[in-house]
Order: sequence, then structure tokens, then C-alpha cells
Amino acid sequence: MSESLAREAWREIGPRVLLPGAVGVIVLGGWQATARLGAIPDVLLPAPTSILARLVDAGPEIAHHAGVTGTESLLTFCIAAVVGIVIALVMSASAWLRDALYPNLVLFQVIPKVALAPLFVIWMGIGSPARVTFAVFISLFPVAIACFAGLSRADRHILLLCRAIGATPLQTFVSVRIPFALPYLFSGLKIAATMAVIGVVVGEFVTSQAGIGYFILHASSRADTAGIFAALIGLCVVGFALYALVVLAEAGARRWWRG
Amino acid sequence: MTEGYIEAAGVRKIYHTRTDRIEAVAGVSFAAAKGEFVAILGPSGCGKSTLLMMCAGLETITEGSIRLDGAPIAGPRSSIGVMFQDSTLLPWKSVLNNVLFPARIQGRDMAVARDRAKMLIEMVGLRGFESKRPHELSGGMRQRAAICRALVTDPDILLMDEPFSALDAITRDEMNEALMDIWEKQTKTALFVTHSIREAVFLADRVLVMTRRPARIVEDLRIPFERPRRAGIQESVEFNRICSGLRALIEPPRSRPAPEAVAAE
Repeated sequence: MSESLAREAWREIGPRVLLPGAVGVIVLGGWQATARLGAIPDVLLPAPTSILARLVDAGPEIAHHAGVTGTESLLTFCIAAVVGIVIALVMSASAWLRDALYPNLVLFQVIPKVALAPLFVIWMGIGSPARVTFAVFISLFPVAIACFAGLSRADRHILLLCRAIGATPLQTFVSVRIPFALPYLFSGLKIAATMAVIGVVVGEFVTSQAGIGYFILHASSRADTAGIFAALIGLCVVGFALYALVVLAEAGARRWWRG
Repeated sequence: MTEGYIEAAGVRKIYHTRTDRIEAVAGVSFAAAKGEFVAILGPSGCGKSTLLMMCAGLETITEGSIRLDGAPIAGPRSSIGVMFQDSTLLPWKSVLNNVLFPARIQGRDMAVARDRAKMLIEMVGLRGFESKRPHELSGGMRQRAAICRALVTDPDILLMDEPFSALDAITRDEMNEALMDIWEKQTKTALFVTHSIREAVFLADRVLVMTRRPARIVEDLRIPFERPRRAGIQESVEFNRICSGLRALIEPPRSRPAPEAVAAE
């Protein structure tokens, strides 16, 4: 009885929690051992315990910078989501606009946009607007393209049914096209959530007085390698929080449309 | 108030593609009385679905007219229920909410619709599955839900476009009996498009036989069986005689190739 219970518990959490957890612990342990036993200087590769100590030490400072980066990332993500969805709506509303815009959008998607960060400084100065605009610029395209793809995914026969029962275009859009598009839209939004953080940090590398990017540059100039790693942990928290927000929004949207 | 009398007069449908002009339906005329079950039988791709879509107001009519209780059909209307080859249920909604979908779209009294939906769900044998979602149902059960959805607004006319052709043979027989049962309780004027001869003869009061493109009606046959009909009639000599007669109309004997085919060689 208890054996079967244990087996069931293992089947539930084993592969999904314990397995990846064990891999993480092994990697960290190997890292710790290499750093300590190999007598590698902390400047090259600080041991996980040193990073942890630095994180505790510089906690409030890192939290402050993570807050700055997080706020700008959230702002970026929201703007990118709205603008991306609007572009997708415009393209799905008119075949003419779709033909005009879509190939250009795909072309833009291919450009390595990170290289363009300094341009935004020239255009908009060194403040927050330049960073947010640049980050919106790089995180907008996945939303627009995924949402547009989703909006054209609705089942042809279901659209026919909507016409047969006399649904207005708006009713069809809200009750059929949008829910069919949701999985695509949210996969685009998940990409945008990570791209927004990347965009803001790259922006901070180019120019800033605060933020995780700024902290990393500063730590690097002082050869504070443990500080860089500690800042990365702060950045992970920001990225994870933004991602979790999208996952929550997706669950909410699905529940709402289930009716 | 509509009654459910359909009349098609000289209906033609011509499609224009970039290079071609395709005549899908050529001068079709027929009438279906209130409460009559009419099957439109023909080979795949003969334009019979196009004819049905014109009746539903989902396709424009190139020439001629289709009238519903005397009024020409100009677009979709709520007095018509439709069923397609796929169940076309919304995958994120429960069976009950799928059945209620047309009532909700048309802004009907939801308390009335809910009662009617529950009655229909019970009648097709889906009781206990109201809160399941389509992917949890078998193909036959999904089509049962689609029947409920087509009937939830209590339409006068039921238009069905090969609704069971994607099902396996056994499920299909079951569905034919289920449809028969429902239709006998909820008599509507019904147009049923199919390429199955046995299905048409089992279900219909009249079978209209259509030829390949351009679609024309070559036979309008009254099926003599009494109602209520039971599955057993399919074993009768009479049933099989009617079926072979219809088969001969649809597939001319193979031994004599058509003159055009000889000339082409």
C-alpha cells in the first residue's frame, strides 16, 4: 500500500521536479568543486557560495537596479503587446494592408535588431524613452506575427457556421477568431516577455545610470565577477516574473472564453 | 411566421476562377413541403453542397431563385439550422455551451434555450456529457451535439451537408437511426445532402438524384416506407430494389463507355 503510494508520488513529481532539480544540484556541485578544488581565482569563476555571499551583501542595491530594469521591461512589454496586437488586427482586417505590411514585417524580423541599439541613443538621447523604444522595437515583431497567424487559424467550417446562424462580424471575431488565436498570441507574448528584458538590458549597456545592465557594466569594470553573477540572479527574477505574468494572463483568458 | 416550405426555381451557380468559368449547378428546380425530409443524392463534387449552401443563404445564386415560404432567400436567417460534415464544435467550450452557441449569438432568451438544450441533449443520448469538451467525445457523439446545436433555436428548416460522411460505417448507421428518431419527434423540413444511397433511402421521404457537374436533378423519387421507420427496413427486398434503381442512375453501367470517352481516345 505505502509502496504503491510512494510509486505514485514519484510518478507525479519525480520526472517533472526531482529530475531537473537533481541535474541542477549536480551542475552546481561540480561548479563549486571545480572553483574551490581547482583553486580558480574568484575573478575568473567565482564559486556558487561566493556568488550567494555577494548577493546577500549587495542585495538591496541589486534589488533597486532590478526594480528599475523590471519597470522598464514591464512598460516595454505592455507597449509591445498592444502595438503588436494592433498591427495583427489591422493586417487581418484588410487583405490589402496584409499584402502591404506582412512581407516587410517578416523582413524586419530577420534583421539582428540588437545591433541597432546605438541608433536609438542618437535619435532619442540617453534617457529611459530611448531604452524602452528600442526594447519595444525588438519585442514587437513576435507578437504581431504570432497574433496575425493565430487570427487566420479559425476553422473554415466554424466561420461558415457563424454566418449561417447570423453572427455579426464582431460576434464572430470575439467568440471564434480571438479564442482560436489565443494559443498563438500567448506564445508570441511569451517570446516578447523575454525579448523585452533583453532589450532593456542591452539599452542599459549602451547608456544608463541605473538598472541591472548598468550594475553589470559597473561590476565588470571593478572585476567584481561574483557581482555580475549576483546581478544575473536578480535579472532572472525580473524575467521570470514577467513570464509568469503572461502565463497567468493566458490561464485567465482561457477560462473566460470557456464560458 | 415561417412554415418551412422551400421552393427552388431554375437555380444556377457559376463560379469564375482566374482562368475558368465553372458551372457548379445548372438550372435546378425542386420544392420541399413543410415537414418533408428530402435527400439530395449525388456523387462527390457534383455541386449538391453548393445547392445546399445557396438554400442556407451562404452562397450567392447566379440565376433563378430559392424561396422560403414565398420570400426569396437573400442571406442567412435564424429560421434555418445547419449541420456540416465536421461537427464544427468550438473546442474550448463544453457540450452544453456549444449547443447554446446559436441562441447566445442570436440574443435569445437563455432560460428557454437552456431548457430546450437540455431536452435535446437528453434526446440524443448525451446526458451526463454536458460539461465535457469536444475532444473528450467520440466522432458520433460530437455529431449528436451538432444536431442539438442545429435544433436549439427551433428552426423551421434543417439543412445537413453530408453530416455523417466522416464517421465509420457502424457509427454512421447508429447516427442515421438517431437522426430518424429525433426528426420524428421534432419534425422539420429537412434537406439532407449525401453520397450514400442507402442513407438517402433510409432517411428521406423523397430522394433527388443529381448528376455530376454541372449538377442537374435527373430523378425525384418518393420513398414509400411508412414512418416511424426502423433499421430493419434496410434488409427488405423493396429497400434494396430502390437502392439498385438509384445506383443505376448514378453510375451508368461500366461495360458501355460513354460515346465521348471513345471519341477522346
